[in-house]
Amino acid sequence: MVFYFLNFRQGKIPPLGKFCNPFAGFWQNNYSTDVLPYIIRVGNLQDSVVVHWDDRHVPHVFAQNAYDLYFTQGYITAWDRLWQMEFQVAVTAGRLAAIVGGDLLDQDLYFRRCGMTYAAERALKEILADPETRLIIEAYADGVNAFIQRINPRNLPLEYKLLDYHPEPWTFLKSALLSKFMAWNLTAFDISENMLTRARAVFGQGVIDDLYPVVPPFTDPIIPRQVRWPFRSINIPEKPTTDFVPATDSLAELASASRLRGSNNWAIAPQKTATGHPIVCADFHLPLYLPCMWYEIQLATPDMNVYGASLPGVPLVMVGFNEYVAWGATNAMTDVIDWYEIEFKDDVKSAYLHDSMWLPTRKRIEEIRVRNSEAVIDTVIYTHHGPVVYDWDEKPYSKVIPRGCAMRWAGHDPSNELKTFLELNHARDYEDCREAIANYDCPGLNFAFASVDGDVALWHTGKFPIRWPGQGRYINDGRNSAYDWHAWIPREHLPHVLNPVRGYVSSANQYPVDERYPYYLGGSYWSFDRGARINERLSAMSSITHENMIELQNDVVDISARKILPFLLANIDEEKLMLQERTNYEELESWNYDFRIDLIAPTIFTYWWREISNMIWIDEMHTAHGDFPLPRSDVTISLLLNNPDSEYFDVNDTPGREQLRDIVVKSFHSASNKLFEDLGSYGDNWRWGNASKIGIEHLAQIRGLGRMGLIKAGNGFTINVKHSSSLGRSWRMVVSLGSEMQGWGIYPGGQSGNPGSKFYDNFVDDWLADRVYEFLYLKSADTKHDRLTAHMILRSGS
Amino acid sequence: MITPWWWWIMVVPFVFGLLRAKSGWYGFLLGVYTAGALWLTGSIYFYLRGSQIITHRVADIFDVGTPLLLILFTAIIAAFAGGVAGMTGYVLKRSHTKNKS
Repeated sequence: MVFYFLNFRQGKIPPLGKFCNPFAGFWQNNYSTDVLPYIIRVGNLQDSVVVHWDDRHVPHVFAQNAYDLYFTQGYITAWDRLWQMEFQVAVTAGRLAAIVGGDLLDQDLYFRRCGMTYAAERALKEILADPETRLIIEAYADGVNAFIQRINPRNLPLEYKLLDYHPEPWTFLKSALLSKFMAWNLTAFDISENMLTRARAVFGQGVIDDLYPVVPPFTDPIIPRQVRWPFRSINIPEKPTTDFVPATDSLAELASASRLRGSNNWAIAPQKTATGHPIVCADFHLPLYLPCMWYEIQLATPDMNVYGASLPGVPLVMVGFNEYVAWGATNAMTDVIDWYEIEFKDDVKSAYLHDSMWLPTRKRIEEIRVRNSEAVIDTVIYTHHGPVVYDWDEKPYSKVIPRGCAMRWAGHDPSNELKTFLELNHARDYEDCREAIANYDCPGLNFAFASVDGDVALWHTGKFPIRWPGQGRYINDGRNSAYDWHAWIPREHLPHVLNPVRGYVSSANQYPVDERYPYYLGGSYWSFDRGARINERLSAMSSITHENMIELQNDVVDISARKILPFLLANIDEEKLMLQERTNYEELESWNYDFRIDLIAPTIFTYWWREISNMIWIDEMHTAHGDFPLPRSDVTISLLLNNPDSEYFDVNDTPGREQLRDIVVKSFHSASNKLFEDLGSYGDNWRWGNASKIGIEHLAQIRGLGRMGLIKAGNGFTINVKHSSSLGRSWRMVVSLGSEMQGWGIYPGGQSGNPGSKFYDNFVDDWLADRVYEFLYLKSADTKHDRLTAHMILRSGS
Repeated sequence: MITPWWWWIMVVPFVFGLLRAKSGWYGFLLGVYTAGALWLTGSIYFYLRGSQIITHRVADIFDVGTPLLLILFTAIIAAFAGGVAGMTGYVLKRSHTKNKS
């Protein structure tokens, strides 16, 4: 009995016998993963591969051919991050319950219903149909599997020991699943069709257009206004004359899940740089966890030499540079998920109505294994739009998903994104980059490029359906083909710019174009702040150096605060304030809108703005029909500045009609009180760093394996982004092009996924301090450098 | 001799208990000392030889505070497992010999 308890996991307690064994348990997950053997005989390598490791445990891989290169990438990435790769696959494929238990059954069901594996299967077919990408994905899987075969009870990664399970053989499908995970992450973070449809029914179209506008106010569009569109739009569908009114889903959550999945990027043209060569910068704003989503690597063969960030589990470098070009990407935000209300013929659900005909559904049986329990069999119903994620009688895991609707997602369509990245890794000039993204589908991205020839360009790229204005914001009628997606915006018509007059390109998830663009684009675009700030600073600069760019990435000025604060302060009579409130007021008056960790003004402003927003909007948006999400900050700012006599400023539950001034004053009092309640008296607790700590959790949320209570500058609206929900700069890069390519960057984590390694989280402190490391970009395998600390040679094992 | 399987610390005391134990307590203490000593020295050895980082982290996971307690915890688990095994060995032998006589 004792044996049983010590050998098998009991609920959340790991098998203590196995786990605490000094000779094979967690005691063995130590520095040993950092000590690398000199020669490894493994796999069916055609030639020998040299890997140099630098002092940050970044591998520099030099192979003679493609197979050897990607085999080694797979082997090494598995060495450092196998558990992370497998776990993220388990999340995407809905197979967590098999590892962890029945608690995660609902989450698994959700991912199965969303058709992630279906999407991966379709993508894999395309990947295997192309001989180049086929070779790559095969070699990578061979490498990962070669590593898995070397695992023994001693060197099994810690999390397997804790959760008491073992790795499985790696398959091509798993790599495809991980790229779909990324696509889902970037496109499905803001599903608001249900909310907008109900809001429209309650408030009317006019109010929706004001409070949840398609084009955010004050936007400085991605593509500069001078750019002309030398084409006419084609294939714009006809909007049906009557608005479709879907059935009301009163249980569904109304808050649109507005967690940002965005980034910044920009590229400076030669005329504006000190070196006379372009500079490319990119930083990604994504969920932060340990091990980090990214793995830094250099990959080289005789005809390619690329450095950058890779996704563990997926071959190639996703973002980075080679000897000729550098590129970065931000989330395009253009909507590629639409929902279609389905009318089934009967409870059997084998047919559904479409254009007055009954079309057959396709049923996909999913078996979800549950640890220590019976497997669950689920049937997912597919229509030509896509899967019906939840039906009316079910309780959704993700409450923003509209029930009774099929999901049309561009990510379900066949595509070969690996080809795009393969071509980018090999690109030599702008033309190569342009061709690489010509078939790039999902997730939609703003790619920024620069080449050593001096070209800089930006493309808002992906597979975007052509819509009538407003289409896609609301739930569609799945019975009527008029609502289906009929055509994609032709590639040549997508918003893009090459070598603009202003000397730089940039994007920060804002609305991509001005009103002259011939197609309608809709999506969850970010507000004007980051994009406008980047542009205003770049416009003012000349002779730009890479240090200037590192500093720009660290900019913590919130220009939305700058826009509204003077107006707010002007509406307060300082004489009438009480003592503590006067201190607060003066703090704000002398502030320069920096969200620095040592300042108190940012905290005061954040609290005040929250009070203002709540006071203006809660009485309007929390209705008898449900609590609708409060309009975003930029909308509120626009209202305050442009419409000061608006009725929105009247608080409905109070007698008498409030004016703007009343709200400003009342909210200031209320904020001052709340500050005291939450943070105590005016003092160190009020400093922005202390008042807004973030944490980087372990990927499986295992306590003790994360880094919590971290102090960092910035907020959701500054270039140097920081969100309270553990979202922030997950990869940061500055590349200075030229005959000697140079790069700097950092990510919050470490190269090793082994919590016992000194490389597990060694970058975090520097990342918090907004520092960067210089990348070591080696020209050849023979290059010597004192930062290279270990060397490895891989040879065929047979 | 040092193999990865943790359950040697139960098998060996069990066999010794079977063969040599003169009483239940003898079997128990034999297991406690041998298994406990083995894992105590093992964990201290590895702690000093590079496992500091992981020990601190696992101490956090289990909320034990200091790595020292984790070493102790490891030793106690071994001692407990070994002790139980040793006693079981003796008990089995005794019931077997009882049956014979």
